[in-house]
Amino acid sequence: MLSSGDGRPASTPEGTPISEEEALRRLRQTSDPSQQYYGAWWLGRMRSQHPEAIPLLQGALRLRRPRDTGAGVEENAVARNAARALGKLAPAARCAIPDLLDTLEDPDDGLREAAARALGELQAPEAVAALCRRLSSGPEVAGGQRSDSPRLVEPCEALLEALGDIGVATPEVLAVVEPFTTHSRPIIRSAAARTLLQLSGDARWSGVLVELLDHPQLQVRRAALMDLGAAGWRPALEPIGRTLAENSLKLMALRGLVEQGKGDPGIPELLACMDSLL
Amino acid sequence: MSAAAMEMSCPPTAELIAAVQRADSSQGLLLATQALAACADPAAASTLVEVLGFNNPGAAVAAVDGLIHLGPGAVDALLQLDPENYGARAWAVRALAGIGDVRGLELLVDALGTDVAASVRRAAAKGLGALRLGDLEPARQAAIQARCLDALLAATADGEWVVRYAVVVGLEGLAKASPLEPAAQGALKAGLQRLQVVSAENPTVVQLRAQLALDHLSPP
Repeated sequence: MLSSGDGRPASTPEGTPISEEEALRRLRQTSDPSQQYYGAWWLGRMRSQHPEAIPLLQGALRLRRPRDTGAGVEENAVARNAARALGKLAPAARCAIPDLLDTLEDPDDGLREAAARALGELQAPEAVAALCRRLSSGPEVAGGQRSDSPRLVEPCEALLEALGDIGVATPEVLAVVEPFTTHSRPIIRSAAARTLLQLSGDARWSGVLVELLDHPQLQVRRAALMDLGAAGWRPALEPIGRTLAENSLKLMALRGLVEQGKGDPGIPELLACMDSLL
Repeated sequence: MSAAAMEMSCPPTAELIAAVQRADSSQGLLLATQALAACADPAAASTLVEVLGFNNPGAAVAAVDGLIHLGPGAVDALLQLDPENYGARAWAVRALAGIGDVRGLELLVDALGTDVAASVRRAAAKGLGALRLGDLEPARQAAIQARCLDALLAATADGEWVVRYAVVVGLEGLAKASPLEPAAQGALKAGLQRLQVVSAENPTVVQLRAQLALDHLSPP
């Protein structure tokens, strides 16, 4: 479930502070897309509550264009950061849900991915039908590998996780998600199991995730840690503790168990384990 | 060979050190470091510290474990580390935090206040609450407590939740280790209360940990 990055431009170190006014100005101007890119990122990262922030981000999202990788900073990079920022501005950005739903139909799968994650963060029940439609052709088609890149036809991980975050647990949604628990890529199996665990609370899906904590690839173990955290599955405390991964990741997962979970093991045991990982 | 090494029927430490220096693969270095760490011989300290700079996380974890196990006997070697070697320094902070020797104080204070990596600031915060002060004379003890308290209180405003969580654990450790003067005790509690406040910027897990620390410090 780790996304590829937070959209912060590598050329602008975090140590260079700009003001909210400056971030808004950069997003408002249109002559330099790299400035817009940074402005959009800043507004999301700093959880801006300025009344102009959301309308400007909506505007940037509508300016998306077909991918043109030969043109330096591509226009869609600004739209992607605008979508991500809108997700971070929940719940105030709920007014942008229609724009994000439009974006979910964009030909650029990277943009669809950013829109899906934002709709999940905004917990938009309006998006469930569209997310399900994107996934309904199953792991072989929607989850198939594209002919021109190692990416999948649909951004399945983001679409699945958005359904879990939104939390509409109808039999139709569960039926769309379940086939992805047998996808050939372990990261997708992890995302599907996480969503089913969030939606149904059915312990059998936790088994898929706990098993992935032993996967030979670190990247898969990290994803399973984050997914158990997102689902708040407290019985996974012990296997999380002994997973071969950075303590930083385990601490994030355990925070999820504390904040999203319920039942046993209880808060004191979870906090004691976190203390031991510092 | 040390007595501890003989009991565990380790090969001579010199041989284990040579194996670390000879290792020519990532996996080979990991195994050799684990073997050297397990021999628990203070003569291994400087080689274990060298491993911290090899940019091999698995071996560095094994070396940190070995150094913490050596305890005060590893501190000199850790403090001789080249301060410009950033990667090695981050691991050394973890080792010093685990050992709890007061000679690590300045490095831990500096790491908590200035290190760019949250994982290093986190380890330093916990370490500042776990220094062993028992054998020191009271005036020196109070001076070190004051340095730890100032550094931890400044870090209650850290931007990363995991560092603030570690600051709570550090403050609790500091208060439990030995009695503080009333003014210091008051400042420490005020710091914990700031981290207990419900706000959008302060995740629930930090609030809960701060509440737990306050409960521990003033039982009902």
